[in-house]
Amino acid sequence: MSATFVQVIVGGLLLGAVYALFSSGLTLIWGMMNVVNFAHGDFVMLAMYTAFLVWKLLGIGPAGSVPIAALLLATLGVVAYFALVRHVMRGPMIAQILGTFGLALLLRYSVFWGLGANFQSLPDNIVGGTFEVLGIRLQASRLLAGAVALLVTAGLHLLLTRTLLGSRMLAVSEDATAAQLMGIRPDRMQAIAWAIAAGATGIAGALIATFFYVSPTVGETLAIIAFVTVSLGGFGSVPGALVAGLLIGVIESLSAFWIGAVYKDIVVYSLFVAVLWFRPQGLMGKA
Amino acid sequence: MTKRLLFSAAAALIVIAYPLVFSSPFQQRLGALVLLYAIAASAWNIVGGYAGQVSVGHVVFFGCGAYAAMAVYQHFGLPPIAGVPLGIAVSVLIAAVIGVPTLRLSGHYFSMATIAVAELARLITTNVEFLGAAVGLSGPTVPRTVLDLSFTSALPYYYLFLAVLAGTLALTWRMERGRMGYYLRAIKDSERAARSLGAASGRYKLYAFMLSAALTSLAGALYAMMFGFIDPESGLGILISVKMLIMAALGGAGLLFGPLVGAAILVPLEEVSNNLLGGRGAGLTFVLYGAIITLIARFQPGGLLDLVRRRLPRRSVGSGHAA
Amino acid sequence: MLLEAQNITKAFGSFTAVASASVTVEEGEILGLIGPNGAGKSTFFNCLTGDLPPTSGTVRLMGEDVTRASPEERARLGLARTFQLPQTFERMTVLENVMVGAFLRTPDAFEARERARAIVERVGMRAIAEAPARNLGTPGRKRLEIARALATEPKVLLLDEAMAGLNPAELHRAIELVREIHRSGVTLVIVEHIMEVIHSLARRVIVFHQGREIARGTPDEVTRHSAVIEAYLGKRGARAAKARPA
Repeated sequence: MSATFVQVIVGGLLLGAVYALFSSGLTLIWGMMNVVNFAHGDFVMLAMYTAFLVWKLLGIGPAGSVPIAALLLATLGVVAYFALVRHVMRGPMIAQILGTFGLALLLRYSVFWGLGANFQSLPDNIVGGTFEVLGIRLQASRLLAGAVALLVTAGLHLLLTRTLLGSRMLAVSEDATAAQLMGIRPDRMQAIAWAIAAGATGIAGALIATFFYVSPTVGETLAIIAFVTVSLGGFGSVPGALVAGLLIGVIESLSAFWIGAVYKDIVVYSLFVAVLWFRPQGLMGKA
Repeated sequence: MTKRLLFSAAAALIVIAYPLVFSSPFQQRLGALVLLYAIAASAWNIVGGYAGQVSVGHVVFFGCGAYAAMAVYQHFGLPPIAGVPLGIAVSVLIAAVIGVPTLRLSGHYFSMATIAVAELARLITTNVEFLGAAVGLSGPTVPRTVLDLSFTSALPYYYLFLAVLAGTLALTWRMERGRMGYYLRAIKDSERAARSLGAASGRYKLYAFMLSAALTSLAGALYAMMFGFIDPESGLGILISVKMLIMAALGGAGLLFGPLVGAAILVPLEEVSNNLLGGRGAGLTFVLYGAIITLIARFQPGGLLDLVRRRLPRRSVGSGHAA
Repeated sequence: MLLEAQNITKAFGSFTAVASASVTVEEGEILGLIGPNGAGKSTFFNCLTGDLPPTSGTVRLMGEDVTRASPEERARLGLARTFQLPQTFERMTVLENVMVGAFLRTPDAFEARERARAIVERVGMRAIAEAPARNLGTPGRKRLEIARALATEPKVLLLDEAMAGLNPAELHRAIELVREIHRSGVTLVIVEHIMEVIHSLARRVIVFHQGREIARGTPDEVTRHSAVIEAYLGKRGARAAKARPA
């Protein structure tokens, strides 16, 4: 197996871990309250811009921008929940979907209008340069991103399955009324879910910004990747999102390598349609 | 009853006489655009409003029609209108590809799929020479016969679009009053109960989607014929998806004249804001659209016509309590 | 036989809600399904209606295997049902609700309206035919559901606790309506809690407890059956009940 090939795979896994991270937020919300956040990609975009601005204005790299972005996005998540989602959740599907879709446009084009359409990027060696391990060339930024993403996603899974908070959130997702009777406040749990999900996008976005260009419309593509990941992984399943994210990352990487970077999106989107046709419940989902 | 009839007659008269009264090229063109977008939004309304399945990537059908029309001209020398059946056929096929697996699942899958397929179409088109790649395709610069539908004045377009809109609304009206209309309403209220009564919900939603796709395709073809040009941005970009759904939702999703009302408000608004703000206006338009959509979803998902309907005094018999 | 369920088992993970239940419904009869809460009768009911696919077992409707058939398929074949928590079409009027049912048998709106009107008349809701369903109280909604189901011209009608929450006068009216429906040739399967209803309507009763059938027979036979009394009242309650004069 040639070193280049392994490099492509490893690169795909690292990026896939980041995909898994922000997609797990999406699947958490979907599983918990049956809402798909169509603004999810733009949350990641905002986090990317946060990282860019933190570096530009404060000169700090990911060590600072990741927590800042996480906090900022978590706040945005909570605000979005209380101001919008909580109301549209109970309404007809059109209100639900248009609600988060409208938010997506609002966020995306506010940034477009306010900060311009130009691509921005952080300096290449903000985390470290490129180095070689066992004949494979790796960018330090991608390695960091992948590792952190993996840890946080695993941590999220543990939070949901092993902690009291997690079981409370699970109770609300199964039956909000019954949970209420047990003394759990569904509203609070759902707001926390939004904080966690958005916080995860904050971390993911700040990490991506270290090796990818930042632009207002990047959320469009990332949203679709999140949708594919969540559908492939199965509605509501964080472990599913992890496996699916890694898989998508690898497929994307291989496509770029074999067919060309221009076509990698086409492959991933077509994969989405295939998943819907042949396995809509995903790898591990409840559907 | 006569009050309604009078109101309808007056409205019809205004619509028919508009371009003759407001006869400057700009005003006529504006009117034609309102009608064109009303057709597209009314088409969206069939699946998004009546069937309750929110398509966020509807531009793919618009693009099918537009590209089909331009392609048969540019590659085969035929009048663009000959591309209309082709555009409709491809649209209906795409609708089936999206709809068959997703319409029996929760509404989210459908909406996500429409975004993905629309983007997919745009990416493919940008990279296929036959479809003009990034440059796009053009229609006849000099009309050869009247069939080319390439007019210098907006006036003939106005009446052409008015006729197509009337046809679209008539079709929608018939659907509304027939079995499909009742089934779709029932499915929106309680899909479970509807199915228990024999309404094959997946199938009816698919019919609505395919009909919507066909009519949207027609709108796209008409657009291409009027502008004489189509490219991935104008024909398959997200802006058109947004416009279709915002016009229907603002005016009143699921109501017959909702999309027309929405178009009549938003098309002039966009023209005005473009003139005032120039280049930077593009971003701001989207911000405004995003805000409007979010506000509608949050406060008045039924749209303006629904708001008006609620405010009108009740005319129905026996709307009181019953055992 | 009209409807036949054989060895229906429904498990949710490790929890078995229904264990190997078999029921045969003959044409023209009224069958009652009773049992304490959580006994599995609603789950079994939902396997009959197509809402839940059984883990194993078969359901046959007039000889045709409908085990995996969709609810709309079953409706087409002549099986209609009402819901425990009424699922009326809130934004449609009473008449329109019934029309949805009528549309199964005719594609024409005019015809559907006429047929719906006749049914609305038949169930005594003519005065409120144009009222939005959301304005109705629970008894009205339950009656509407029955009317709506009738419009599909069913051979067998499954009623899921259609009498719960009715006051004595409403209960009486409802029982009369069900009798009238039965007389017109519809077979009925009734899931009920209210013993008065079972005694008034059902000729045959099957009792469920913890997912299994524990007794079957006439209403009288079944209410005297010791296992049934135990299921409802528990062992101590059963003994206490026995100690009391009949």
